[in-house]
Amino acid sequence: MRVAMLHCGGATAIGFLGRAGDACLLGTLILAEPEHFSGTEITLLLLAMLASAGLFLQRLWPILQTIHHAQPEQDFHLRPLGRRTAAFVWEVLLQGKVIRQRPLPGLAHAFVFWGFLAFALVSLNHVATGLRLGFLPPQSWAGRFYFDFAAVWALLVAVSIVGLFVRRFFVRPIWLGEHLSYESGVIAGLIFLLMVSYLGAFAVAPGGSAVKLLWWSHTAALLVFLPLIPHTKHLHLVLSPLTVFLKRDSFAQIPRLHGDEDFGLVAGKDVTQLIALQTYSCVECGRCTEHCPAATTGKVLNPKEVVLGLRSYLNTVGPASEVPLLAEARPDTAYAPTLSMEAVFGCTTCGSCEFQCPVGIQHVPVIVGLRRGAVNTGTWEDDYGTKLFLALEKHGNALGLSAAERDKFVTKQGFPIFDGTQEYCLWLGCMGGYDPKGREIIADFARVMHFLGTSFGVLKKERCTGDPARRLGNDLLFGTLADSGLKSLEAAKVQKIVAICPHCVRTIAEDWREYGIAPQIEHHSEFMARHRDRLPQQQGQSIVYHDPCYLGRYREQYDAPRQVVQQAGALVEAPRHRERSFCCGAGGGLAFLGEEHGERVSHVRAQELVATGADVVGTACPFCNTMFRDALHETERQPQLLDIAQLTARALPSQPPGGEP
Amino acid sequence: MKIVVAVKQVPERDAAIRVGADGRWIEEEDLSYTINEPDAYALEEALQLKEKHGGEVVVVGAGPERVTSTLREALAKGADRAIHVEAVDLGERDTLGVAQVLADAIAAEAPDLVLTGLQSDDLGLGQTGVVMAELLGLPHATIIMQVEVTASGLRVKQELEDGWFQHVEMPLPALLTMQSGGNKLRYATLMGIKKAKAKELKTETAAAAAASPSARLERVYLPQRQKHTEMLTGSPAEVAAKLVQILKNDVRVL
Ligand code: SF4
Ligand code: SF4
Repeated sequence: MRVAMLHCGGATAIGFLGRAGDACLLGTLILAEPEHFSGTEITLLLLAMLASAGLFLQRLWPILQTIHHAQPEQDFHLRPLGRRTAAFVWEVLLQGKVIRQRPLPGLAHAFVFWGFLAFALVSLNHVATGLRLGFLPPQSWAGRFYFDFAAVWALLVAVSIVGLFVRRFFVRPIWLGEHLSYESGVIAGLIFLLMVSYLGAFAVAPGGSAVKLLWWSHTAALLVFLPLIPHTKHLHLVLSPLTVFLKRDSFAQIPRLHGDEDFGLVAGKDVTQLIALQTYSCVECGRCTEHCPAATTGKVLNPKEVVLGLRSYLNTVGPASEVPLLAEARPDTAYAPTLSMEAVFGCTTCGSCEFQCPVGIQHVPVIVGLRRGAVNTGTWEDDYGTKLFLALEKHGNALGLSAAERDKFVTKQGFPIFDGTQEYCLWLGCMGGYDPKGREIIADFARVMHFLGTSFGVLKKERCTGDPARRLGNDLLFGTLADSGLKSLEAAKVQKIVAICPHCVRTIAEDWREYGIAPQIEHHSEFMARHRDRLPQQQGQSIVYHDPCYLGRYREQYDAPRQVVQQAGALVEAPRHRERSFCCGAGGGLAFLGEEHGERVSHVRAQELVATGADVVGTACPFCNTMFRDALHETERQPQLLDIAQLTARALPSQPPGGEP
Repeated sequence: MKIVVAVKQVPERDAAIRVGADGRWIEEEDLSYTINEPDAYALEEALQLKEKHGGEVVVVGAGPERVTSTLREALAKGADRAIHVEAVDLGERDTLGVAQVLADAIAAEAPDLVLTGLQSDDLGLGQTGVVMAELLGLPHATIIMQVEVTASGLRVKQELEDGWFQHVEMPLPALLTMQSGGNKLRYATLMGIKKAKAKELKTETAAAAAASPSARLERVYLPQRQKHTEMLTGSPAEVAAKLVQILKNDVRVL
């Protein structure tokens, strides 16, 4: 047995035949474990373990305390467990998101993660052996199988960690931050040592001093690694599975306010347990920032820094504090742009960050929460913002025009007023009711509905859904608008709504829930896709389709608009499309907030769309349309710009003279 | 400084106005109301003065029950107290009668400064503030854009015609009628609304009208839209000359 093992252990004698050689035949290598531990060794090990675990807990404890002392989460339900479990399996166990969004480093990370899982049993047995309590003898059938299995993983982990190390320290993608994190290097080294010392034990003769040396170096790496976890980004090892499992129900969901003292995220006392847990889970991977339209066009906003800013607030000021979160509201301390009004009001609420984050951090509720804190208390002073709010208060539309303008447009188009006999209520929205281009889109969509023989009517009076107020954090205004919208839909006995604006759709379907249940609403892309068989098939033009954030990431509707586009020409994809689509710059109320600093988001996106060489830029949101209308003046080529409703309507037979418009 | 702001509630700007059956006033049913715009600027000025110099801002409004919603909004924007002078017969009173009702309530407060809009969005008579000053025995200035507190009283920026302004020094107590646009209005906030719940809104009953009105509304009607086309004839030079005359004298754009 020993001889066979020696040969096998030497890895030179695979295929060596003998009494105990079957194992070798099977290609099995056997792990060498030290055979004896002296009392001194055991004492030493116990002391080291105690120190390591002690340090680990000493550092982890205050973090857990901080999370615990944060504001308890209201309206939090563990159910439905199915959705949570599914997210856990896909995002944590299968590392689906990590791999899908950054394939190479993602795969490397997944190998390290799976390797760690495989190693749990190995490590347990490793330490137990040192206490003479080993439960998985390497020679046993189970031991041979498991240790070889783990060895394969060890190899993958070692290769992966070297790859990740090279990426971080030599390739240095900017998203990982400007400063090299040396602790990451140390940790990579420790992981490498763990793997090598494990693999080495297959190659040395049992009983020798080399075995002991390997065993102790493996142990040392393990025990040094443990206390490094809580105060480095490797805390995500402990927290992120929980964070992913516990994240808030739906995408970019803005939670309710509770009681008379809740105005959003004003100070530490408003930070909830879920937010605290999320901030401590950040791995500083920078995926959020890499995809952020604000950060990548030179704005102050950097979603990763918002998360880290909150974390450092919790570490220094603590939860349950009255100290304001935003820098401008804290003039006594050094100005920190990362967590400032300037930063959070630069967010388009496109949701890229939240979609990308591999550990389940939900940025949008935090950013909107900080805006709520500033707006609901009147701390935010911005000329454009105030103008928008006053326009919404007074005229009920974001463009600040008199409601009579909408009446005129409705009369001119001959749109019937919804009276309960029609199938659909056509929701015009601010753009469709007041903006010249938005009106063209509505008029064309109305033609499509006429062509399909679907009856519809418009509301006599319609006010803004409150989307810009909602995203800018004005709960009073949003509540008033939501409430009045719900009432007018109810009074008109509307059953089904269709709208051309994804912001209207999202706000009515999701955000209004705080105030009541709205009738079923769909986006015109969904309506047209359903009826596409009856819409004319056009040939010739190539159309590059731009996914609006609020239709794509917010509503997960990627296929319906594409089906409509394919009916109207040849679909071309932009480099960033579907869930990675790049914002047009209008969302989050930013369309109304005046000039941007730095490069314009809409220009970056317009250039990307133009560069595809397509004849037409196809949009599915009137806000994207406006943004590109301006941006396309500055591109080297000016493709046509059409909404999917216009793309469809242009192929319809023209109206018979004197017919309904 | 104790500042009283007199505000009026008027129909929303873009409300669809219908003339009432008797032709003397508008149909008030399902009309939405809001604060008179110049009064909103008067309130804003008062709030800013308070923020700078401390003191108290009291809003006063007269009219039926519905006026309290405008007063509550003023409380939400930052006023400290509100007085609602309940009166359902304001339409029957002339400017003097309305000013008297407001002046009674204001006199009881003995303020350092009274602010109100220069005119109302509905009737647009532009007299209430001035008459109130007379009744209260206060010096006044009209069409004010900016107010500065000085050692001896006030320095105000008054709008004249044609883009001209003048600065006037005046003592306190005083009454000013405010022009729109001198300040930036603030938006209503959730915190303001919540705080307003705890603020005092006192209702007083208006004294009966002292004298019968010297002026009353005869008829209310919607403006008649008139399109007038006139063909100019003659040689091009004559047409051009006539056109210049019209643009100069009738349309007054030259
Ligand atoms: S929502 Fe969009 S704009 Fe806002 S921080 Fe995230 S990625 Fe940036
Ligand atoms: S917030 Fe998420 S995506 Fe952004 S750096 Fe942290 S872990 Fe990465």
